[in-house]
Amino acid sequence: MRIVFGFLAAAMLAVVAPVSAHHSFAAQYDANQPVTLTGVVTKVEWTNPHARFYINVKDADGQTTTWNLELASPNYLKRAGWSSTSLKEGDEVTVEGSLARSGANMANARMVTFADGTRVFARSSADGA
Amino acid sequence: MRRSILTAVALAGGTLALAGHAQQVPVASTAPAGSGGANNPSLAGTVPDAPAPRLPDGTPDLSGVWVGGGPVGDIRDGLMPGEEIALLPAAEALMKSRMAADDPEARCLPTGVPRTAPYPWRIVQTPAFGKATHLFFLFEGNIHSYRQIFMDGREHPDDLEATWYGHSVGHWEGETLVIETVGFNDLFWFDFVGHPHTTQLRTVERYTRTNMGTLENVTTVSDPGAYLKPFTIKFTATLRPGWELMEYICNENNQDVEHIRGPAGL
Repeated sequence: MRIVFGFLAAAMLAVVAPVSAHHSFAAQYDANQPVTLTGVVTKVEWTNPHARFYINVKDADGQTTTWNLELASPNYLKRAGWSSTSLKEGDEVTVEGSLARSGANMANARMVTFADGTRVFARSSADGA
Repeated sequence: MRRSILTAVALAGGTLALAGHAQQVPVASTAPAGSGGANNPSLAGTVPDAPAPRLPDGTPDLSGVWVGGGPVGDIRDGLMPGEEIALLPAAEALMKSRMAADDPEARCLPTGVPRTAPYPWRIVQTPAFGKATHLFFLFEGNIHSYRQIFMDGREHPDDLEATWYGHSVGHWEGETLVIETVGFNDLFWFDFVGHPHTTQLRTVERYTRTNMGTLENVTTVSDPGAYLKPFTIKFTATLRPGWELMEYICNENNQDVEHIRGPAGL
């Protein structure tokens, strides 16, 4: 299921991708600062202008940090085959994205990999929504 | 559910190579569920290879859900051949001073004109048959708002208060809908890079549906308060058959502004 919706989301990209979001991607995120985060989803916000989800990431010392991860807007996600329950609290995920310029524990999520190894393309403002 | 979504994937097969997983995608035959309904692009029809439609009285029919048709990142992207943007010194200084976080669109405020949000919008005319007295541009984003274009022959009133979308009157010139708009405030930007304007802004938009799926917008921007001379831009909107507008309440959870850094145009 997740595999499939990942395919779908990726497949839809070429169909629905606009040129940018309601803000300049580069003004908020640094494409030269890629980040890969692994953690457990603690909250999903199916909200505008971006859907967001939060994960708790444990470092080598066992310290937990919460990261705020940006997706596209719900309307674009829906058109790409997502729903508000595609990501759920408790899911173990690895997220690939770009760090926020502000230095906050925030990134845009470009790719989400689930515990079963499924890689899901996650639309974000980098891709135009 | 699984079968149904697989169908959507199969229907979208033309783009699957992008995902690099095409070889793993099986084929199924039922419609997707829970994946956007009428808004799922896989369910939407492809744009027929057909001429632009007409109303029963022969007027071009521009109705439909469109994406694009105006500047998003940089208005200069649409400059017609031979056109240039010549900022007056004060406007140039204003533009250079603008920070990306101050872009009203990032703050969930309207685009104004001629800027376009990267979200679908719908043209509606009323009455739907016969001579329209009003045209509406319904915007999914940014924000969930509309423009009202008076088609009944009225003129701009002389007591206009400045607004985000101004006062628009339209008429037909052959195949082209011509919309003249004045009465703008000076709050919106033309693009991400922060091209400015003043309340002297006047736009003349010329919309031509060149075929079923294409809507050309040639707009002349005149603002003697900010630009040395008028300039003309062209952007093209494309039809999204089968799409419906969806809700987009931008200021619901806008965490972006506090994390945006640097000058406009980054």
